[in-house]
Amino acid sequence: MTDLQVMTAVNGDRAAPSRDRHVTLEVRDLDFFYGEAKALKNISLDLERHSVTAFIGPSGCGKSTLLRIFNRMYDLYPGQRAEGQVLLEGENILDPKLDLNLLRARVGMVFQKPTPFPMTIYENIAFGIKLYENLSKSELDGRVEHALRGAALWNEVKDKLNASGLSLSGGQQQRLCIARTVAIQPEVILFDEPCSALDPISTAKIEELIDELKAKYTIAIVTHNMQQAARVSEYTAFMYLGELVEFGETTRIFTTPEKRQTQDYITGRFG
Amino acid sequence: MTDITTQGASEASKPFDRARALAAFKLGDSTFYWLTRVSALIVLFILGGIIVSLVIGAWPAIKTYGFDFLVTRRWAPQLEPTPILGALGPIYGTLVTSFIAMLIAVPVGLGIAIFLTEFCPIRLRRPIGTAIELLAGIPSIIYGMWGFFVLAPFMTDRFMPMVIRTFEGVPVLGTIFAGPPSYLSLFNASLVLAIMILPFITAISRDVFQTVPPMLKESAYGLGCTTWEVVRNVVIPFTRAGVIGGIMLALGRALGETMAVTFIIGNSFQISGSIFAPGTTISAAIASEFAEADGLHMSALILLGLLLFVLTFIVLAAARLMLSRLEAQAGK
Repeated sequence: MTDLQVMTAVNGDRAAPSRDRHVTLEVRDLDFFYGEAKALKNISLDLERHSVTAFIGPSGCGKSTLLRIFNRMYDLYPGQRAEGQVLLEGENILDPKLDLNLLRARVGMVFQKPTPFPMTIYENIAFGIKLYENLSKSELDGRVEHALRGAALWNEVKDKLNASGLSLSGGQQQRLCIARTVAIQPEVILFDEPCSALDPISTAKIEELIDELKAKYTIAIVTHNMQQAARVSEYTAFMYLGELVEFGETTRIFTTPEKRQTQDYITGRFG
Repeated sequence: MTDITTQGASEASKPFDRARALAAFKLGDSTFYWLTRVSALIVLFILGGIIVSLVIGAWPAIKTYGFDFLVTRRWAPQLEPTPILGALGPIYGTLVTSFIAMLIAVPVGLGIAIFLTEFCPIRLRRPIGTAIELLAGIPSIIYGMWGFFVLAPFMTDRFMPMVIRTFEGVPVLGTIFAGPPSYLSLFNASLVLAIMILPFITAISRDVFQTVPPMLKESAYGLGCTTWEVVRNVVIPFTRAGVIGGIMLALGRALGETMAVTFIIGNSFQISGSIFAPGTTISAAIASEFAEADGLHMSALILLGLLLFVLTFIVLAAARLMLSRLEAQAGK
C-alpha cells in the first residue's frame, strides 16, 4: 500500500512538472512519531522553488505535523521525532548537529492565528532583522518599510509605527506576521492555515499576498479550505491518516484525481 | 398528552408556574445582591476603621513630635520628663532591608520561574514547583530561628569578613560594607527576607509565564530566536503586568514582615550606614517594644504602625504608576 503510493509519487506525479524546475525542499521516506504513535508514514515529495504547494486533508491527517518538520518546530517538544530525510537545497535539515536558529531564519512560518509580539509595529519587524544583522537606524527603517510594503501593510500602518502590534485588526496582524517573516529574507515560508481566524476580505488579501510572495519565496501552505488550495497553489498534496495519498499539479488533482479517496475528499463526500 | 383538554390546561398553567418560580428567584437574586454588596462594603469599612483607630492611638505622639518624628534619629523612651522619639532609624531599616531583599529575590525568583517553564524537564517541574510553594508555607518564626542559628553564623564568620576586607578603604562601598561583622545585622535580616519572599515571586511569575500562548512563543522560535531571546523579548513583555504584580506582593510582605526580622536584625535604632551593622524595621520595633510601652511611647509605636501603612501604600501606588507608564510606553 505504502510502496504503491511512493511509486505513484515517484513515477506519476513528481515527473509531471517540467524538467528544468528547481527543487528547494526534498522530502524522502519521512516518518514522524509523537512518542510511540506514528503520525506520518513514509512521506516523499518535492517542493518546487518559487511555487506554492498546498497540503489538504481532514483534521489529524498530519499536514500540520509535516509543515512543522520543515522548520524543526517539533524539536521544542520532547518525545517528538522525525526519521528519514528532508533536504533544503541539498542539506539534510533533520541532522541533529544542524543549527536550528539558522534553519529557522531560512524557513519562516506563519501560524493559524495572528501572533504579533507584545511590542510596537515597528519593533515587531525590526526585532527579527536585528537578530541577524547589525544595521544603522536608517538602514533598519528602510528594511522595515520594505517588509511592510512586501506584506501590503505599509499604507495602513505608516503613520502609527509606534502603536502596539496588538492594536491592529486580525487581518492586519496576520499581514504583520507575514511582514515579520519576510523581513529576515527566508528561502521558504510555511503557512499553517493562515486564514482560519480571518474574515473573507482579510482572507482574500492574504491570498493575494501569497500569490505575490511566490515570486521570491518557496511556499508551503496547509489549509482546510479546498477552494483556497485551488486558488493559491500550483501543487497540491492530499494527505489522509498520516499518509501522502496523492500529490501533483493542483489543476490535475482538482479535476482528475487518480485516487478514490482524493476524489471523495475534494467533492466533500468525507472529511 | 393525547387528550386535548389536559394539553390545553397544562399550557395555560405553565406561564403561571414560571411566573411564580421567577418571583421566588427574584427574592433570592436581590438577597444575593445585597449580601455580596454588604461583604464588599465591609472591607472598606474595616480598612477605614483601622486607619481611624491608628490615627486616634497615634494622636498624642503626632501632637508632641509632629513632623520631627520622621527626621529624628534618636529613640529614648525612658527620658524624663518627655521621651525623645524619632522614626528615622526604623524607616531607614525597613527600606534598606526590603531593598536588599528585592535585589536578591527578584532575579533569583524570576530565574527559577523561567527555568521551570522553559528549560526544566517535565518530570522535575512538579517537584520543584511544589517545593517552592512549600517554602511559602513555612511559618516566619522558623525562618527567624534558622536565620539566627544557621545563616547568621555562616555569613558572619565567612562571608562578611571577606567582603569587609575587599572593600576596605574604597569610598562609598567601604562604608556600606564596614565592619565589625555581626550576627544581628540588616544584611542577615535582608537575606532571610529574600528567602521568604522568593516563593511569591517564583510562583506568580511561573503561573503568568504559563499563560503565554504556545503559538506566540513558537512564532518567536520560528524567527530563529534562542530560548533566552524568546523569554527576554516575548515572554516577559507579554506577562509584565502579572510579574510586577507578583513582585509587589513580595515587596508588601518584605516591608511588613515582623517575626523573622525581629529575631535577627538586632533592634537597634542607630543608623550606621553599614549593612553589616544591627538596625531595626518599623514592624520589628513595634513587636519588640509593644509589651513594655505606655503613654507617649505607646502612642509613638502606634504612629510607627500608621507610617508603615502609609509607606506600603506609597510603594504600591508608585509601582502601579510605573506599570501604567511602562504599558503606555509599550503602546498597549
